[in-house]
Amino acid sequence: MINILSDGCMIIGLVFWFWGTWPLLGQRSVLYKLHSLSVADTLGSMAIVMGLLLRIPHEWPLLLLALISLAIWNTVLGYVLAYCSTREIGHDG
Amino acid sequence: MTAVILAMIAALLIPMVEAFQDEDIWQRMLAFASIATKTSVMILAVSVLRDDWMIGVVGVLILSVGNAALMLLAHVIKRLNEVTEG
Amino acid sequence: MAGYLNLLLRLTIWFLLTADLSWDNLLLGVTIAVLLPRGATNPGTLKDWLYTLGEVVAAIPQAYKEAFEIMIYPHHHEAITLERAKPRRTPSLLFLDIFLITFTPKTIVQHYCEQGWYEVHRIQRRPTP
Repeated sequence: MINILSDGCMIIGLVFWFWGTWPLLGQRSVLYKLHSLSVADTLGSMAIVMGLLLRIPHEWPLLLLALISLAIWNTVLGYVLAYCSTREIGHDG
Repeated sequence: MTAVILAMIAALLIPMVEAFQDEDIWQRMLAFASIATKTSVMILAVSVLRDDWMIGVVGVLILSVGNAALMLLAHVIKRLNEVTEG
Repeated sequence: MAGYLNLLLRLTIWFLLTADLSWDNLLLGVTIAVLLPRGATNPGTLKDWLYTLGEVVAAIPQAYKEAFEIMIYPHHHEAITLERAKPRRTPSLLFLDIFLITFTPKTIVQHYCEQGWYEVHRIQRRPTP
């Protein structure tokens, strides 16, 4: 039962990875790609780590730390990339 | 588990191709950010596959130190662009 | 009051990292958490903190829901909107607010103005009229 759940999480994560990484090859704007990357890299990776967590529950403290840092770092990197890649309009900073 | 690792390697190829083919620096940064996350999650998956938690600790450490270098690089590139454009 | 949250955060990270609840480790963790330098900024009220932390927990299922929405219905249109920030936010609460908006896949904060506005980039199914 646990194994099925864990496999399910990992498959969802992998589907997110492929779906979200695929638009990188297209010709859309950086910000549009950033939206799909946040699906792939944050949510997809979190699903995969959840799958791993179900498989080895005795290592939960480190995997929980991995989950939290995944969420925080990826989101902040998304913000920093969005901030840095857009032109300043009207004001400096 | 092996199938999962193979699928992950396939997913890792996409941002690599993008990093090679696109000239725009921000598109490349996006690809690198994607590669960074994917490889560290792969390290975790490999540690479960080989049942060797020492590898897993390395993966968790990489994840928690995070993409700090990429953020710094993004700021440096932004500054450089501002300087060169006036 | 909210200063304790800071200590609690450090202790949480310490225990997750070491995964060891013995007395020695507890003592070490508390010592390090107290000794690490703290910013002198005004920490904000405890109520704001608890409220925002609750929103963070609620944001996780919301983010997955939005992810499935984007996957099922293609969102091809981009738009930039301005959103008002809540008044009297301390820097760490502002960070959490920006985190909340950026965490959900449809919206990304791309700029924060000092006057209390976020520039939010979002994707939509239909072009804005």
